[in-house]
Amino acid sequence: MTDIQNILRERAHALLDEGKIACFIGWGATRFNERAMPKFIFKAEESSSLVYNEHCLNTLAKYTLDFQYGAEKVGLATRGCEARAINRLIADGRLSRDKVYLLGIPCQGMLEHGKPADKCVFCRHRNPVVYDELLGEKTIELQNPPRFESVLELENKSDTERYDFWQKQFAKCIRCYACRNVCPACNCLECYTEQYRTGWQGKQANTLENSVFGFTRAYHIGDRCIECGECERICPMEIPLMKVNRKLVKDVEELFGVEESGLSEDEIHALGSYNKEDLEEFM
Amino acid sequence: MAITDNTNFEPKILAFCCNWCTYTGADLAGLNRMKYPDNIRIIRLPCSGRVNPQFILRAFQKGYDGVLVCGCHPGDCHYTSGNYFTRRRFLLMKRLLEFAGIERERFQARWISGSEAGKFRDTILKVTEEIRALGPNHRMKEADIYD
Repeated sequence: MTDIQNILRERAHALLDEGKIACFIGWGATRFNERAMPKFIFKAEESSSLVYNEHCLNTLAKYTLDFQYGAEKVGLATRGCEARAINRLIADGRLSRDKVYLLGIPCQGMLEHGKPADKCVFCRHRNPVVYDELLGEKTIELQNPPRFESVLELENKSDTERYDFWQKQFAKCIRCYACRNVCPACNCLECYTEQYRTGWQGKQANTLENSVFGFTRAYHIGDRCIECGECERICPMEIPLMKVNRKLVKDVEELFGVEESGLSEDEIHALGSYNKEDLEEFM
Repeated sequence: MAITDNTNFEPKILAFCCNWCTYTGADLAGLNRMKYPDNIRIIRLPCSGRVNPQFILRAFQKGYDGVLVCGCHPGDCHYTSGNYFTRRRFLLMKRLLEFAGIERERFQARWISGSEAGKFRDTILKVTEEIRALGPNHRMKEADIYD
């Protein structure tokens, strides 16, 4: 990891020095040893403050949107989750590929509270699927991690148990919208939760409106979720949001045969297209 | 949760009907003096593709016991492809609602063409009976959670 950290600093320094990019987005140290945070580097000499270790949990790709209207390119440390998030933003028409310069990092999985992070345990793309240059050797991908296990477990319960489970979970929600803010698939210019005159969504933070928000957000990104697990990681109330996201990913896979999202920048969304041979249940 | 009397329970069902097929089918059922339960409230829409899946959640919130989405048969859409999108959306939404803990009979979708007055009547009869058997919906209902 220190090798990659050194190459990352070198390359960021070179790119900023050459004027190829205006900003480099990576990770920096915090006052805690077991935590790294997003770091924005604007000057070449600052690049020695970049950090790459097993505590770099944040998926950085969504920060590129802050630079989308500028004239210059932005550099990005790109692991598997960042690469798929970049594809997601490009496929959704929010970013153009020539605005970003991607330094690919083969990821070994990160640690959270001393054990492998939940978002990395079920990861199927540790190597970036898109990059401009790759730092280091490609890692071995996890073979079929059991990512739908928790979904199946809940599916096998009764309606009442499932309803009680979700109401209990969403009772905790404080509607901070951190899940939405961090999600690379939640990239609408104006979110439906902020359209206060349309009546789509009650603003009050009570169990019912929270669950309606939770399920609606999950459905909005259902066919576009890249399974980066950021929503669940960022949630201050520890709501298992990936459980409902994975449920939709699983159904999209079973119903429409679209296995994973964010693998290419010109993919077609499952719900934005149709097939005449789709399953017929409504006859 | 409010205590409700189940013995005289009359379900309240919301039906989204597309203007070109199902609504015309309902019209034909009326012209033919067919009888179907008055538990249904119909909302006419230009196309079943107009039905945003969030309408379903909103209907349950506002106190409906069941929701029915009806449109033209696949291939017959007045706008060529609207109901193909509807089909994908609601295949997914149906499973999400079940996952959220709402009984599967509470949300249904059917294709009913303009000439299928009989099918319209039979569908309404069947859906009403199924929901009557389930009893009133308390899940995701505003009034019951915050009484």
